[in-house]
Amino acid sequence: MRRSKINIPAMIFLIIGAIFILFPLYMAIMVSLKNPQELGQSILGWPSKIFWSNFPNAMAATHYWQAFTNSFIITACAVILTILTNSMVAYAIARNMHKRFFRYIYFYFFAAMFVPFPIIMLPLVRQMSHIGLANQWGLIILYVVYGISFNVFVYVGYLRSIPMELEEAALVDGASRWRIFWQIIFPLLAPINATIGIITAIWAWNDFLLPLVMLGDPGQFTLPLQQYALQGQYSTNYSEAFASYLMALLPMLLIYVIAQKWIINGVTKGAIK
Amino acid sequence: MAELKLSHIYKRYSGNVVAVTDFNLDIADKEFIVLVGPSGCGKSTTLRMIAGLEEISDGDLIIGSKRVNDVPPKDRDIAMVFQNYALYPHMTVFQNMAFGLKLRHFPKAEIEKRVHEAAKILDIEHLLQRKPKALSGGQRQRVALGRAIVREPQAFLMDEPLSNLDAKLRVQMRTEISKLHKRLQTTFIYVTHDQTEAMTMGDRIVVMKDGFIQQVATPQEIYNHPKNLFVAGFIGSPAMNFIQGTIKEEGGVLSFTANGISLTIPEGRHEILRQKGAINKPVILGIRPENIHDEPVYAQTYPGGVFEANVDVVEHMGSEMYLFMDVSGQQLTARIVARSDVKVGDRPKLTVDMSKLHIFDKETEESIF
Repeated sequence: MRRSKINIPAMIFLIIGAIFILFPLYMAIMVSLKNPQELGQSILGWPSKIFWSNFPNAMAATHYWQAFTNSFIITACAVILTILTNSMVAYAIARNMHKRFFRYIYFYFFAAMFVPFPIIMLPLVRQMSHIGLANQWGLIILYVVYGISFNVFVYVGYLRSIPMELEEAALVDGASRWRIFWQIIFPLLAPINATIGIITAIWAWNDFLLPLVMLGDPGQFTLPLQQYALQGQYSTNYSEAFASYLMALLPMLLIYVIAQKWIINGVTKGAIK
Repeated sequence: MAELKLSHIYKRYSGNVVAVTDFNLDIADKEFIVLVGPSGCGKSTTLRMIAGLEEISDGDLIIGSKRVNDVPPKDRDIAMVFQNYALYPHMTVFQNMAFGLKLRHFPKAEIEKRVHEAAKILDIEHLLQRKPKALSGGQRQRVALGRAIVREPQAFLMDEPLSNLDAKLRVQMRTEISKLHKRLQTTFIYVTHDQTEAMTMGDRIVVMKDGFIQQVATPQEIYNHPKNLFVAGFIGSPAMNFIQGTIKEEGGVLSFTANGISLTIPEGRHEILRQKGAINKPVILGIRPENIHDEPVYAQTYPGGVFEANVDVVEHMGSEMYLFMDVSGQQLTARIVARSDVKVGDRPKLTVDMSKLHIFDKETEESIF
């Protein structure tokens, strides 16, 4: 039997990377399980007595379930609409790159990636409120539209690796362009759909700035906005704040674990030799 | 079951690139026609125009009795097998084969029946629930064929379907496709760059070069009577030998003379050479490697066809051997019987079978005989 070799430099690099990710998480868990007095003595130490009440207190302070529902609706709608519409846009561009119009559109979207969000933030908010969309639906539209530049870039790259023969075979088989997209191409985009879905979900779920400027009604506030309430003018209850951060983090971890299995290479393996 | 008529077909791309020029061909019902030629000769483009995957720039394409230039691929009632199989990777073999029938709203029972029948013909019944990635190259090719068969189309189009298979499997699938053609009794249009496939499978072969048809004929006709230098050189392996020289006349005897070689032309060919004005003009002599012999009996039969050559390389193929020779700077290949004792460095006496000689006009490259 041949022993599998361990790439030692890569291993060290991965361990350091893991520490960088796990350390703040460890800190957040420790802080969320202590009472403020104990937190004053030590941040990193194990709590002498686990202070579970930080969690219900944080839930009450942030109107957790309402904010969770708001965040969930916005994130779910943004993810679904982003995947459905952006993949279609990318398909049209990827298959028509030889035409000048589509090539320009592609570079137009590409250029949009380099525009910093704060520059367009205020005009965008004014426009949205002008057309009566300064609410969660407007927010969803902005996520779908603003993500299009990066998403199209990713989708087009992948679409161009899907052999044209698959579509031609479907055309000869009798499929319409619409059916080819939904029955042949879209299922093959699964790894990219998962990637785009995760990126969009994390962005929409964690975003603070856009909801802050778009949402006026406290009843529509998302989790990050409500968490802001934990920071008082004179003091911040770190234990409750971190408890609420952890509660907000869990759904995203869950989504990542579920979607991870879709991010696999070689879905097209078998289509062509 | 249908006849196809391609009449003055052109394919032009932007930038004045012409891929296919004045393509005329009548394909009979149930015929197995092979388009063959080197890369970029327009054979795949022609097939794709028949399929409807490429627009026809000019000319008429008639399937049955209907002009189908502007008919979308799905309504042309043709099926196509692609070089890289183009199986839908997320569907099982059954779903791949049933896809076209489902789109045409066939009843479920009929779909089941057709898929199982086709799978039985192709011996892939046990693979129906597998996905393409779990199949070998040969199995994938069978599924691709199956997907075409279930549709029972008017014509099958095949674009180099065997070129991704290894040599052994290719030979096996070649005979299977030929059997399939006999069984299905449908028109087959097959594109390949492999002249062996063309020779062994086609009822007729269309040899193409640079978008032009060079010759359309049966395999035997193409092999024995190539219309021009290109066809002569493209069909046959090893390729036909070409020697540049001149036809000279001395006392009523015509001979082909080149540097280091002189062959007496049989009398039966004199007339046509005179008719075509080939005397004292530069010509190209063509002789297939198997028509050069080292056995003395040929020297007796064709005393005017004897020449000597330096043997550079000898390749033993088992049942025969190839001699690669140099005749005053011109390279020749001979395919002789394996029992010959010719060795590298020898200068044997060889004889050209003068009844199998080809002469081409050097200027036009057209065959004189």
